[in-house]
Amino acid sequence: MLWLDKYRPKTLDRILVHEEIAQNLKKLVTEQDCPHLLFYGPPGSGKKTLIMALIRQMFGPGAEKVKVENRTWKVDAGSRSIDIELTTLSSTNHVELSPSDAGFQDRYVVQEIIKEMAKNRPIDTKGKKGYKVLVLNEVDKLSREAQHSLRRTMEKYSAYCRLILCCNSSSRVTEAIRSRCLNVRINAPSEEQIVKVLEFIGKKEGLQLPPGFASRIAEKSNRSLRRAILSFETCHVQQYPFTSKQAISPMDWEEYISEIASDIMNEQSPKRLYQVRGKLYELLSNCIPPEIILKRLLYELLRKLDVELKHEVCHWAAYYEHRMRLGQKAIFHIEAFVAKFMSIYKDFLITTFG
Amino acid sequence: MTDIRKWFMKSHDKGNANESKPTKQDKPSPAKLQPEKPMPGGQESSGRRKTSKYFTEKQKPKEETEKEELPAKRKNQKHSEDSSCGRGHGGRGPSATPAGVNTTASKKLKSGSGRGASQKYLDIEESDEDDVKETASPSKSGGRGRGGRGASATPAGGRGRGSGRGGFMNFGERKDPPHKGEKEVPEGASDCLAGLTFVISGTLDSLEREEAEDLIKRHGGRVTGSVSKKTTYLLCDEDIGGRKSAKAKELGTSFLTEDGLFDMIRASKPVKVPAQEESKKSVDKVVKPLSKKSSHKVEVKRSLGSGAPPAKPKAQNIEQSSLTWTEKYKPKVPNDIIGNQSLVKQLHDWLVRWNEQFLDSGNKRKGQKPNDSGAKKAVLLSGTPGIGKTTSAKLVSQMLGFQAIEVNASDSRGKADAKIEKGIGGSNANSIKELVSNESLSVNMDRSKHTKTVLIMDEVDGMSAGDRGGVADLIASIKISKIPIICICNDRYSQKLKSLVNYCLLLSYRKPTKQQMAKRLMQVAKAEGLQVNEIALEELAERVNGDMRMALNQLQMKNISPFTAVDKLFGFNAGKLRMGERIDLSMSDPDLVPLLIQENYINFKPSSAGKDDNDMKRMDLIARAAESIADGDIVNVQIRRYRQWQLSQTSSLASCIIPAALLHGRRQTFEQGERNYNRFGGWLGKNSTMRKNFRLLEDLHVHVLASRESSSGRETLRLEYFTLLLKQLTEPLRLLPKDEAVRKVVEFMNVYSFSQEDYDTIVELSKFQGHPNPLDGIPPTVKAALTKAYKEGSKAQMVRAADLVTLPGIKKAPKKRIVAMLEPSDDGLGEGVGDTLAESEEENSSDTDELGGTTAGEKLQLELQSLNSKATQVHLDLKGTGTSSAKKTPAGRGKGGSSATEKKSVRGSGSGRKRKR
Repeated sequence: MLWLDKYRPKTLDRILVHEEIAQNLKKLVTEQDCPHLLFYGPPGSGKKTLIMALIRQMFGPGAEKVKVENRTWKVDAGSRSIDIELTTLSSTNHVELSPSDAGFQDRYVVQEIIKEMAKNRPIDTKGKKGYKVLVLNEVDKLSREAQHSLRRTMEKYSAYCRLILCCNSSSRVTEAIRSRCLNVRINAPSEEQIVKVLEFIGKKEGLQLPPGFASRIAEKSNRSLRRAILSFETCHVQQYPFTSKQAISPMDWEEYISEIASDIMNEQSPKRLYQVRGKLYELLSNCIPPEIILKRLLYELLRKLDVELKHEVCHWAAYYEHRMRLGQKAIFHIEAFVAKFMSIYKDFLITTFG
Repeated sequence: MTDIRKWFMKSHDKGNANESKPTKQDKPSPAKLQPEKPMPGGQESSGRRKTSKYFTEKQKPKEETEKEELPAKRKNQKHSEDSSCGRGHGGRGPSATPAGVNTTASKKLKSGSGRGASQKYLDIEESDEDDVKETASPSKSGGRGRGGRGASATPAGGRGRGSGRGGFMNFGERKDPPHKGEKEVPEGASDCLAGLTFVISGTLDSLEREEAEDLIKRHGGRVTGSVSKKTTYLLCDEDIGGRKSAKAKELGTSFLTEDGLFDMIRASKPVKVPAQEESKKSVDKVVKPLSKKSSHKVEVKRSLGSGAPPAKPKAQNIEQSSLTWTEKYKPKVPNDIIGNQSLVKQLHDWLVRWNEQFLDSGNKRKGQKPNDSGAKKAVLLSGTPGIGKTTSAKLVSQMLGFQAIEVNASDSRGKADAKIEKGIGGSNANSIKELVSNESLSVNMDRSKHTKTVLIMDEVDGMSAGDRGGVADLIASIKISKIPIICICNDRYSQKLKSLVNYCLLLSYRKPTKQQMAKRLMQVAKAEGLQVNEIALEELAERVNGDMRMALNQLQMKNISPFTAVDKLFGFNAGKLRMGERIDLSMSDPDLVPLLIQENYINFKPSSAGKDDNDMKRMDLIARAAESIADGDIVNVQIRRYRQWQLSQTSSLASCIIPAALLHGRRQTFEQGERNYNRFGGWLGKNSTMRKNFRLLEDLHVHVLASRESSSGRETLRLEYFTLLLKQLTEPLRLLPKDEAVRKVVEFMNVYSFSQEDYDTIVELSKFQGHPNPLDGIPPTVKAALTKAYKEGSKAQMVRAADLVTLPGIKKAPKKRIVAMLEPSDDGLGEGVGDTLAESEEENSSDTDELGGTTAGEKLQLELQSLNSKATQVHLDLKGTGTSSAKKTPAGRGKGGSSATEKKSVRGSGSGRKRKR
């Protein structure tokens, strides 16, 4: 098993990084009724771990007995009925799902699932909580319609159903929803905290850590604990015992994107654009989300770019990223960004160097 | 008028004779034509006069006759339309010869004369006036054109750069024309080059080759790659030697310069005849008087010959080009109708006998023999849409000289006011009544001249709310009617028509067979110059389900394939296209065209960029085009997701027209050896790969979730876990000794409940083009061992791809994959060290029943119990087979002991998964 999963804290008490939040959550659950919760924070900061631990705290170890189901909802949308299929993870007391997987029909999922849960409330409530918990992942990816329809149902069925929402950026969650929830901000762990965790794992696994190695990993991890632990183990698989100079390999797709970036920097021509398109397709068909591609590409380009252009390029990246979300065929927008960049950069090169 | 009709009837009866006639007439004409070159106009026109007289007489009937003798004749006529201009050239050929320095004149003559022959009777379509113009003006311009060429090109024309057309495609570099874009490209009649074959060689003066090709094609000429006997002209400007010109010399093909070509096209310009006549005056004094005389002659003769209105067909011609094909290729005579000939005959007979039966013998409508087809005063045609009911009704009545009055659903057909006197200015129904009852009047007035009337009530089953009492009224009308009434409906068993049926002779049209339709479609396609294979047409015929009208519409749409559309949009002359044309092109397939555009727009070197050092402007244009394409995507989302279909034009504007407008020009290849044609849109393929991979990833994700080791999202799994997973799954195989490696990997896979497919998924999704395959360096024996070990293990402990089981109670009977998991109960092993997971196949139908319940998501509690029992069963199975799963089974059993009372220690949970793959 991967260390990441092996050393994932299962209870609130064991949580290492966000101890304070964990204790507060514990108090919240044990002492009083739990409100709706909205967890937000950057990836790899421990939102999911906290949520799972919280649920365990609410319902006891039974909450860990989950089953995976591919469920289908039949929804009447006016004239036609739509079948929506989603993977859910559920125990007796909670259901977890990512409604954004349903694409733009997420609205129906949100409406249906909450009603359904409210209908089947537990009969025997003594000694148990009188409600179930619905965990919705990636709320920030929900369409606006879905968020609006969530708003009312959240209130209406709040007696039987608590929502735990989880997302990266609260800015993409509507005001209305944010105000109905207790917002919990989960910060990215600091590098020291990451180092602490890595050392803890190292100790448990009985590994020899050369000095400075853990902090190098932490540095590379972009303050994502998950990332850090994964690359720690990757290093371990690659080479053990560790050496202090050991290279920390980047993710495969990051490597590929940086290749694309240098392709773009080296030549700006239609032909190169065509080749870049091929590579972008490659990334997309390997299931790398387009937003991540664009973001990473920008990051790589900025590293090599002249200061003068940075501002403009960032502007265009943001512009195309926004449009990509409005659109459907991501490649068109990424390509448009690349073309724009090539055009700007070429112009820049010619005017400065002739 | 009447005798014309009579005449027509006759000719129509013996169509064959009719057909052969013109050909006979033609034969002498070519012979005549050639020798008397000096006086071609007069001769020709006199020759034509005969034909034209013949045809002018026939002019009106022509329409009807046209379609009569089906294939052969139509082809001829069709040909005539096309080549009417070709004839012009042919005729011109000889006339020019003396002027030009053409050594190949003799050959030319031959071909010209041949054409002349065929044209002769083809002239039918053209009015005489037209003919004159055609003959007069081209002859002059031809002379001029050739003269010019004679001066410039013919002496030089000895050589031509010899490179096949296929060859030049791959030449990245070709000299730009020396006077690129400096000359005005003329516009001419769309078919003025019809029947001519061109070969382009070398660099032209001002046009790019593609432009020239396009120009010729637009004017109906053909462009081929290499010189052959059929080649009419070799188009070349430069003094170059090569295979093409050598061959052309050998074959005696004439040479033509770009200017010559322009002249030819200009000359044909249909509208500017007077101007041309003037120019002719100045340029060619010899020809002028002749042609003038001839035109006079012809005019005079025509006026003598027949009183038929001149110049009408020309207008018709123009009109025809803009007609939809359904109109254009509507049957013109009853025999043209596809299928149902017997019904048409019946209708015909009924109509013929109508008068004698109902008018001559007075009101005999009651007491007729019911089976007599003439016994009913009205007829009801029924059948599915588009099989020619209305058309046959019209044609039959037309043929019999009835004046057809059509009333369809667009007219109000409500119950007439009781007082017919109010009729005029009243409702339409009143006018029907009037019509029906007024017949005697008109009969008396001028029976000979004004003819009988027939009332066609179209779409009688469509009489609805607005036409209250319509049917009853119609019946009443039938009773008193003094004219025949033809009713048409789609569904004769409609409730509304129940009463009407009794008063009508019923004729039910059947759908024509697909072969019949395909045959007709083929003719149309041929007439339109489409290349379609018969199979495709039969397929089309089958698809439209007997609806000829729809088939024609479809065929017309098909006319523009997405590739042609893209070619045109990006072509040299794209700038000249009108907006409407562009929209039509991009709408010819609103899904595919944008994808093709997106795929290919980078390849074009925009002609608008002009002199473009290092592609600066081009890059800028590409960026703009890319943005516009992205706009198109956004609009498309609005259309599809929010059903804003009114935006579809905006979408085609953004995704097709703007990029094409920015970038149209010459296509350029990026890779050596790539064919210089538009690629098929890559997006579709890539998108489906992406979707497939997403499904695979989702499977993997579910397995990971099911293993309960991790609850990460799918994206996280791909983005962050994958690198490590891949390492864990492949590194040991490379480094460790075989058995140990295999054991380790299988163990790891089991922890996360990966299946063999998941393994493949991980490897597949980590592959990047240009990077080494992650499986490189693993000896095949190890791989084999891994597969074997995994299979062995999976037999006993886990089943991933469980059977596809049909779940009863669900309508569509989806195929669900049932995966049951065995797992330890809650005995505090929260850290999940020893928790195991095994899955077992559920083939038992009772189990699946229960699972069906669970997937439907009813009561969780209930479900638990049902699952418990099942789990026990699975558990027992495991005991039975569990040899290799030594580690797992005991764990399960041990737990079974610990909490055997309530939960049997094992809980199964089912997850039905629909597999879409």
